[in-house]
Amino acid sequence: ADGPRRRKKRNRWGDASENKAAGLMGLPTAIVANMTSEQLEAYTLHLRIEEISQKLRIDDVVPADGDRYALYLHPYSMNGFPRDRQAHEANLYIPRSPSPPPQYDNHGRRVNTREYRYRKRLEDERHKLIEKAMKTIPNYHPPQDYRRPTKTQE
Amino acid sequence: MSMLAGTTATDSEESCVLQLLNMVTPEELMDGDDYEEICEDVQEECSKYGQIVGLKVPRPTGGSRQSAGVGKIYVKYDSAESAKKALQALAGRKFADRTVVTTYFPEENFEVGAW
Repeated sequence: ADGPRRRKKRNRWGDASENKAAGLMGLPTAIVANMTSEQLEAYTLHLRIEEISQKLRIDDVVPADGDRYALYLHPYSMNGFPRDRQAHEANLYIPRSPSPPPQYDNHGRRVNTREYRYRKRLEDERHKLIEKAMKTIPNYHPPQDYRRPTKTQE
Repeated sequence: MSMLAGTTATDSEESCVLQLLNMVTPEELMDGDDYEEICEDVQEECSKYGQIVGLKVPRPTGGSRQSAGVGKIYVKYDSAESAKKALQALAGRKFADRTVVTTYFPEENFEVGAW
């Protein structure tokens, strides 16, 4: 009723056919067995950990919509005219969230690239979930390639 | 043994209510804009499989104990048939780069919010 509203994100749904990580984990996603809520909780936790592990393994860490945002990143081209007038008018222009200032290592290489930041975010999430799984799921074994972050990290 | 066989045979009761897991985090649900958009996105996609008569997305209340429903999404359809279609179609889809897990949920519990 209040007209088009500027969204923070584009539609969050993606296609099953582009869900590479899910294909690789080979875990059921349509559950028709009778599970208690605790079992479901544990299963979802396990699945999310596996999903993140796959994403890290196949380097699928940058969100799919990261690229789609870019399509509408600059509604005005260099000469000041809308690049995609229709999208702009439909209020589909969604700015990518601002990147933090670049950081460089001793060799002058940029360290906080988009890739790096998204990978780090997934690693942190996985770490938290694994801690939770170890507390709540009896005999839980973390994925092979998981290493506990060292305490010395800032 | 006969009891065991009995328990495996009772597959989760077909229901008009669909439970969607692994789609949202408590943090996203705290944000008012994100919350609205999530409801919109879910409503839009789920209505492709039948008429939706109820949608519940439990939010964190801010208390120390979190409701078991937070992070899950419940969609009630007008028929079990629609719920079944949605259960099969939405499983394994991506939602905000997370893999959607679907299952049924008892209608009585949906009505009273017993997550």
